[in-house]
Amino acid sequence: MTTQNNPYDYAEAIQYQLADIVTPVPVYSNFNRNYAKQPKFLTWQLRNIHQDVYTGGIQSNKGIDTPIFQISIFAQNKADAFNLSNDILQSLHGYSGQFGGPGGFFIAKADVHWLYNSYDNELGLNQIFLDCMIYVPA
Amino acid sequence: MALINKVLPGYTATLWMQDDVTPVALTDTQLGTWTAQVATIVGTEAGGSGTAGYVVPVESIPAFGADDASAAYSVAGARTGAKITTQNQVTSMTITAAWNSADAALLQIRADGYSGSTIRTYVVAVYDGEDTVAYAFNARVGGLQWDMSPSAEGKFIFTIHPVGGNSYGWSTNT
Repeated sequence: MTTQNNPYDYAEAIQYQLADIVTPVPVYSNFNRNYAKQPKFLTWQLRNIHQDVYTGGIQSNKGIDTPIFQISIFAQNKADAFNLSNDILQSLHGYSGQFGGPGGFFIAKADVHWLYNSYDNELGLNQIFLDCMIYVPA
Repeated sequence: MALINKVLPGYTATLWMQDDVTPVALTDTQLGTWTAQVATIVGTEAGGSGTAGYVVPVESIPAFGADDASAAYSVAGARTGAKITTQNQVTSMTITAAWNSADAALLQIRADGYSGSTIRTYVVAVYDGEDTVAYAFNARVGGLQWDMSPSAEGKFIFTIHPVGGNSYGWSTNT
């Protein structure tokens, strides 16, 4: 028997954890064009919240949650972008423990995929995208 | 503190072993005793005190517990045969670890396998960030293999064979 985790708890924890890793670089949920004037910043998006459901009429007969959040790094300087991605990898990949600070929750594992880098000529920003799956007891 | 009351990801499990070259395995009673016994083998990362143990860097913890076995027989004139559950062996655990030739735990397991007679206490610990549930057993190591397939990192594969009898126990920090 398990409980359904609250997506808002995930959002709060992701914001805290990423900000803690890359401080003082600003971290935002989702992209806003107004941010593009900043020399470097991060955005994140949460997706794929889903606890497996198991048989029977008991709603709490569920499994663990494995949500994914995408991290998008933007920086005018290419080295800044790559080094920020390294900070996140070193801190988060394989991490097990408290996630999201004192108000957060325990995660059994964080699994980061460094996806790809790119460059937006119009905004003049280097971009790097990462996916992070977290394994959350429920 | 209460017992862990959650459904946990498999990632919460870790495998620990006594770190002495010539270990004194825990007694049957001690295998079911957390404080000052099992807790000393389990590291702080899994809620133990970690003064007398190595973590074994396994890829995943295989199923553990007891083997399935029963005595089955036919009953003449009855509608079905019958089964009686027998006292089963404690399950052997075949472990795959990424091979690091300088890892202290893997080197000790290699030495134990070479010896063939070393009995050591192993612990599977499940930890939710606050509390630990531990399954401890005494075992020898056998079946050492190294797999250097070029499709992945080099693997060290070995089997932990429990000594049987009553040499396993459950404990918790609460």
